[in-house]
Amino acid sequence: MNPLDLLRFAAQALLQNRRRSGLSLLGVVIGVVAVVSLTAIGEGALRYVTTQFASLGSSIVNVSPGKNETTGGMPHGIGGVPNDLTLQDAIVLERRVQAVRAAVPVSVSTDIVSYRERGRSSRVVGVTSEFQQLQRLDMDSGSFLPESELDRGAAVVVLGHRVAQELFDNANPLGATVRIGSWRMRVIGVLQERGQQLGMNIDDVALIPVASGMRMANKSSVNRIMLDLYPKSDSKPVIAQVKKILIDRHDEEDFTCISQDAVLASLSSILGILTLVVAGIASISLGVAGIGIMNVMLVSVSERTDEVGLLKALGANQRQILQVFLLEATMLSSAGGLIGLASGTALVELGNLLYPRIDAATPLWAIAAVLGLSLGTGIVFGVLPAWRASRLDPVAALQGH
Amino acid sequence: MIRVEGLWRTYQMGDHELHALRGVSETIEDGEYVAIMGPSGSGKSTLLNLLGCLDSPNRGRYLLADEDVAGLGDDALAETRLRRIGFIFQSFHLVPRLTAVQNVEMPMIFAGIAPSDRRRRAESSLAAVGLSDRLGHKPNELSGGQKQRVAIARSTVMDPGLLLADEPTGNLDSRSGAQVLDLLAELHAGGRTLVVVTHDPAVARRADRVVVMRDGEIVKRVQGQDISDLNGLFDISSEDDPSKQDLNTAREGDETEAVVPEKPV
Repeated sequence: MNPLDLLRFAAQALLQNRRRSGLSLLGVVIGVVAVVSLTAIGEGALRYVTTQFASLGSSIVNVSPGKNETTGGMPHGIGGVPNDLTLQDAIVLERRVQAVRAAVPVSVSTDIVSYRERGRSSRVVGVTSEFQQLQRLDMDSGSFLPESELDRGAAVVVLGHRVAQELFDNANPLGATVRIGSWRMRVIGVLQERGQQLGMNIDDVALIPVASGMRMANKSSVNRIMLDLYPKSDSKPVIAQVKKILIDRHDEEDFTCISQDAVLASLSSILGILTLVVAGIASISLGVAGIGIMNVMLVSVSERTDEVGLLKALGANQRQILQVFLLEATMLSSAGGLIGLASGTALVELGNLLYPRIDAATPLWAIAAVLGLSLGTGIVFGVLPAWRASRLDPVAALQGH
Repeated sequence: MIRVEGLWRTYQMGDHELHALRGVSETIEDGEYVAIMGPSGSGKSTLLNLLGCLDSPNRGRYLLADEDVAGLGDDALAETRLRRIGFIFQSFHLVPRLTAVQNVEMPMIFAGIAPSDRRRRAESSLAAVGLSDRLGHKPNELSGGQKQRVAIARSTVMDPGLLLADEPTGNLDSRSGAQVLDLLAELHAGGRTLVVVTHDPAVARRADRVVVMRDGEIVKRVQGQDISDLNGLFDISSEDDPSKQDLNTAREGDETEAVVPEKPV
């Protein structure tokens, strides 16, 4: 049978029973929409995370005190009290590791930041002037923390956008003096609004020189050291070097050194697996839709028994009859796949309009998989009814039995 | 030439066997017009199905132009039906969603004939039955007589040598029935072999020969002049009274003849 004739014949048969064809097609559509939109959400989350990391700067290595054991070994505290990270560690790392553009020691505490009667509990973060470039921070007004010796803490503060707004409303905060705990600090700059980012809300911080921060918290150590690498540096040898230097200085590995890339990679793989699992669950509904198609085709074969008998009487052989019915099932499922893909994509775009922060988009592999699956569903679940039709006894079939 | 020798067809009906044909032998010459008559359940439809290669005998030989087709496989039988046999049914068996011309095209689709050629042949075949103005009509837009003429156009479009008709006028009023019979006579005059199963003496009267069946066997053959003698025919099929009743009532109740066969063992 000529493929075009086959297509036309199957299409006419499906159109003869529009409602039934439509309903079984709907099953496939729902399954495909589920897969398309769920994988789009997964992909959107992945993109969101990736862009967040990119805005943090992708070539950052974090050193924090304490060993994060993830592979067993000695429990915490048994190998001796970990040494804290110090300003000196930062100075040494910046000087001795070639690829490090700047080492920024970071001290973090939470305190009340107040101006006149207004106060707000904020994160008070001690950093250096290099922190601006490392975090790609833009100024709303004023300037960032000035360059200075690490151990010199001037009494100046740069306010996050939200903090400035809460304390000053629309007044100009530049030059004003705010209280942080029992300290008085002059506002020299306000950061541009940025919104929530992974880990911290940069709008809700007060940035002060790291020495001031340490003094305020009454500590001689910092909470972490952030290493900003030169562009295109490979973080792996840097980590090795950092480890060697710090082990030299601390006599043991009492710190954790990870690159932003590694965090991103593990997050991505978690999200990727999650997406796959969700897509897998969604594709179960495609299997259910396949059973729906099989049911419809079985009904169709038994209703059209006399037609099958006629086809046989006219000289159609078993293969041709098998083809006709198999093609009907396949057309149902692949039409459902295409319609589902279109409406799923529309749904995803609608979601993007409503929630622009997550840029959801169905990944290509999911589109290919879902089209393949819906086509395969029709073939797999169409075989039994089609085979049954092709085996009908012509005499009995002509009489409608 | 068509020859059947010692044809047996047995259906398994639950516990007991039903012998639809008990050793039927018959020879039909090329170009002959044969009517098969007989009461319901006499086996005439079973014989027609075997002649049409829709069914295979349990025993016996069927020579179609000297080729034994009784032992052919399913695909070879399909090919035989496609190329050499045309069917005309009592209930027309047109595909409702297809137009007249598409219905006529169907056998040619299975034969793999190119669309343009197909269309031309279907149209001329419909023209031959006087339906040139109904090409695009669907079966539900046609009268019974027109439907049967579409079916006849379909049965001849592959130019088969053998036409088999099962009660071709059974669902028609007498006027359309006569039209259909005229068409069959025309086809016969064109050299085709025609085998018609019928209850209708009017159909039988047009045949060259009438074969009368009862209980799975051929009980009488009537030839030439005798056929035009209607009374003679009734004599044949009413040798005893019950079967005469059969003959008169069967036209309303044709389903009673439709044996529900189990799949042949």
